[in-house]
Amino acid sequence: MNNLIEFFKRAFHIIVLAVLLILSIVMLGKSLSFNENRLARAVQSIVGPIQESGAGMIHRFRLGPENEELVKQNIELMREHENMFIGKEDTVMTEMGKPDSVNRKQVRLYDYTYAHVIYRTVDRAFNYMIVDKGSNDGIARDMAVLSPSGVAGVVTDVAQNFATVRPILHPESRISAVVTPANQNGTVIWEGSDPRVAYLEAIPQHSEINIGDSVFTNGYSNIFPKGLLIGTVKEVQVGNNASFLTIKVKLATKYTDIYTVYLVENLFKDELDTLKANFKDE
Amino acid sequence: MNNIIANILRFLLLLVAQVAICQHVNLFGYMSPALFLLALFLLPLELPLSLQYLIGFATGFVVDAFAHTFGVSSFSCTVMMFLRPYIVKMLNGANNVKFENIDRPVPGVKDFHWIFLYTLILTFIYEVSAVLLGTMTFKNFGHTLLVIIGNTTFTVFVIFCIEYIFHPREKKE
Repeated sequence: MNNLIEFFKRAFHIIVLAVLLILSIVMLGKSLSFNENRLARAVQSIVGPIQESGAGMIHRFRLGPENEELVKQNIELMREHENMFIGKEDTVMTEMGKPDSVNRKQVRLYDYTYAHVIYRTVDRAFNYMIVDKGSNDGIARDMAVLSPSGVAGVVTDVAQNFATVRPILHPESRISAVVTPANQNGTVIWEGSDPRVAYLEAIPQHSEINIGDSVFTNGYSNIFPKGLLIGTVKEVQVGNNASFLTIKVKLATKYTDIYTVYLVENLFKDELDTLKANFKDE
Repeated sequence: MNNIIANILRFLLLLVAQVAICQHVNLFGYMSPALFLLALFLLPLELPLSLQYLIGFATGFVVDAFAHTFGVSSFSCTVMMFLRPYIVKMLNGANNVKFENIDRPVPGVKDFHWIFLYTLILTFIYEVSAVLLGTMTFKNFGHTLLVIIGNTTFTVFVIFCIEYIFHPREKKE
């Protein structure tokens, strides 16, 4: 008996070793069968939250490059949207010089690029933003600036590597807009100090505007493509001017945390501007 | 007593560093450090053998839990802890039967040569076992070998960096 106890004492660590190794092998075997892994599930419920916060931390370091990729992908998708094109008809002539068939084709009217806001103000009467791209990157005056959530402003001044953007939050900012579903055209202006709210002007009093209606660009300006969200109707009042409504618009763009912006270039801007200038002269 | 607290703190610290940082590091696809091994390397050899095995197993289990590789690390750590005394005996020239506090891979206590071989051999044992159990195949063995060597190199490098940062050689033999 004594011998037996003595033996166990001496061999105890070997037994522990064997038990632990067998346990490991069993766990390994269990983990290889995908269906029934209760151990993994039990442990995951403890480890999961810890791991999640850790992964979040590490993910944050990678957000920069990932965002750049997503922005580029966004641009590719946005370029294909129908409001980027105008329809044209090409008449194909026969050899005899008579019209044969009509080719409808889409001509690209707008193109996109992107930039990052490196400085912006929101609390002044004349606000402005500066983006990190300039004439070297193909930025030009009067390009439209969009935030991921909606219209942001217009490029007003371009240096070699930077450009100034006039946001909606500027007394001189005027954007032609259409409010749906009433389909009334008006102008979005900003007055006052609230960076979240602008006004929609020149909407006739008879139109039925409801709170929550969306305000889009109408594409009249040749700066903004058609159908970009400016904001939503927040308040409708009968103004002093009897024939028009005063409409408060909650801006879609959050100017307080704007970083990535998309810039829209009108490829036929010169042509369209010439036409408009001619019209004015007459 | 002081020693025990130091050991426990070191364990926690290295385990957190392992699951929070090292597990997400993977250089070139075949270099991933197993920093927590340092905690096991520094474990006193005077502890009862069964306790050493248990600690090894538990450490491996925690690492497994975070890596979703149940059994892989636990098995490898236990095997490594089992072989550790023999490696130390071998490095000491087999004349030192009783283990003492000086049999630790700490700069100043042992020379570079001893620490290097100790760390390299034990890491290699762990990685061979862990990588083979992890891949569970001898297919594409060239890559498996690359992973074993890459992991071992990286781990030894990181452990050495930490050893020599935290134990400046103040008491030279």
